[in-house]
Amino acid sequence: MSLNFDPSYALEFDFGRGQVRMANAGERVIVPCDALLALCQGASEDAVRDFGRRLGTEAGRVMNDRLGEAWQASLETVLEHLGGELALMGLGSLGLERWGQALVLSFSHSPLGWAGDLLLGSVLEGAMQRSFGRDTVAIRLMRDDQKVRFLMAGRAGAHKAGNWLAEGVPWGDVLSRLATRGAS
Amino acid sequence: MNQDVQKLEELLARVRRNAAVPRTRVSAGTREASAPVHEPPAIPYKAPPYVPPAAEFTAEEVFFESEPPPKPAPVPVYVPEFAPDPVVQPSARLEAEVDELLLEDPFPSSPPAAAAPPYTEVLEDPIPLVSVSSPRRADLDEDVSGVMSIPEFGDEQPEELLEDDIVEMSPAEAEQPAVTHALDELSFDDVDVDDKRAAQPSEEEPPASSSRSKIAATMDEALARAAEQIQLEEGREVPLKTPPPESGPQAAAPPVAMHAPLAPDIEELLEADILPAGGVRAAVPTAEQLGQTIDLDEARGPSLELDQPTAAFGASPLQDASEELEVTLPGREFGGRYQDDLMPPPEARQELDAHRKRVEDDAVPPAPESLAQPPTSGFSPVLAPASVTTDSHSQSVSTVTIDAPAKAEFAPELLARPELGPSPVAKFIRSEAPRPKTFMELLDSSLALGSD
Repeated sequence: MSLNFDPSYALEFDFGRGQVRMANAGERVIVPCDALLALCQGASEDAVRDFGRRLGTEAGRVMNDRLGEAWQASLETVLEHLGGELALMGLGSLGLERWGQALVLSFSHSPLGWAGDLLLGSVLEGAMQRSFGRDTVAIRLMRDDQKVRFLMAGRAGAHKAGNWLAEGVPWGDVLSRLATRGAS
Repeated sequence: MNQDVQKLEELLARVRRNAAVPRTRVSAGTREASAPVHEPPAIPYKAPPYVPPAAEFTAEEVFFESEPPPKPAPVPVYVPEFAPDPVVQPSARLEAEVDELLLEDPFPSSPPAAAAPPYTEVLEDPIPLVSVSSPRRADLDEDVSGVMSIPEFGDEQPEELLEDDIVEMSPAEAEQPAVTHALDELSFDDVDVDDKRAAQPSEEEPPASSSRSKIAATMDEALARAAEQIQLEEGREVPLKTPPPESGPQAAAPPVAMHAPLAPDIEELLEADILPAGGVRAAVPTAEQLGQTIDLDEARGPSLELDQPTAAFGASPLQDASEELEVTLPGREFGGRYQDDLMPPPEARQELDAHRKRVEDDAVPPAPESLAQPPTSGFSPVLAPASVTTDSHSQSVSTVTIDAPAKAEFAPELLARPELGPSPVAKFIRSEAPRPKTFMELLDSSLALGSD
């Protein structure tokens, strides 16, 4: 199943009603980025997580609608369609990295900056939950001006990686340690 | 009055008579007329100690003087103990008259030819002479008084004679030449005066070189003499050393140039050591020593070695030293290297030829040894080959070809590894990680990380 993502007519602006619709989706509200950040910064972590997971669930549902059977989708297909949906939402460019057995997803050119990392991670967790039915934890491995990397791991792995990162272990070594401990 | 006139006439006659006899210059001595003088016995003459005159003129000084030298200061004259018989002195008045008469015409008559010594002779003896009067003869009982004046010039006015200049002497004393002794002739040894006179028979004869030109009367004559003198000096060879004063005036050696003081003559130094230390005149040979050979005694005291005096600047000491050597040693130009024209000694020639032959044999490098040939005896130096080329036929095998020299006797045996085909040297084993076919598999594997 190779279905390319086609963003044509993905957004519909109804100037008579003053509405913005997304294809195969509900109404959208276009809000300023800083206002959204201010809201996220003022809200609790759980509220942000919930807000972000709701966004990811909507993206996963759309992808599933387009793909039909998402659990059989390849890496490229998932990246293409999920990335396309997140791009339509204006959250940045989705990337996929495989470090051994570890799945690393990244966002590039996100307008939210480091303050939106929690929101972005929650978007990814919602999308995985909605698309693949797995509860995942997105752990931020690194962050620079252009890119932020998230390790998609279970709870146990996410706990260990979080501790090592807190100890100052480089994110590459964290991945190596997770792969070594998982192999042994 | 008549008596006085008669006395004066006698005196005048006596003066004239005395003027005919040879004159002897006698310096006036201080003689006490009233002092009683006794006839001394004949004793050998003993010269008094030398008293240097107040002003002493040398021959050179007199030669260049245009005026006659001043009158020498009165010198104390040796007065012998034997004095003539007491002379009855005339009265003072009579003496004054005589003096006036004498002053008017001290030499009224025609003077004898050899009576008065010429002025040049007077100047010839710069040292005042010592006059000694000989003992009076027994047969001469008449006192003769004479008047002597030292300077005698034609045009000059006669000097006024003092009373001291008047000496009374007998004709025998006048005939007998005055005994004059120069300082050089004086001897402190107990030598008889007569012996000394006998040793100097020609003392009265003036030296050959002592002729002195008279003072020119006119300017033309002076100029003519000066021209003759210049001609004589031009033709005369200047002696290297200053001759003794007896040889007359000598032209001084012209100054050559400014130069460093010359090294002292060794012979002169030795001679100076031998001669007695008695002043300048002690180093000058006396008249007796001229022309004689003096045998010197053996040197006494520690033997001395005289070193070669350092030459004056301008002359290389090395050059001076090499002039005295029989064989000239190589100079500084051969420092640090050998002279090209030096020949090896005959006994070393054969060894040198053998050495050169060995060097030529060693210049040919031996052929490179290979495992197929037995090794040559000994070790030989490894010389660089003429050329080395590298011929690479493959990536793994390379052959190095060495061009043997033309004089090599054996061709080298070259060994090369067998050629092999291109094959990978190293193998990198790529780990085949199971790539998840679906995103779900990767997600599940990732969720499994960190779980025990």
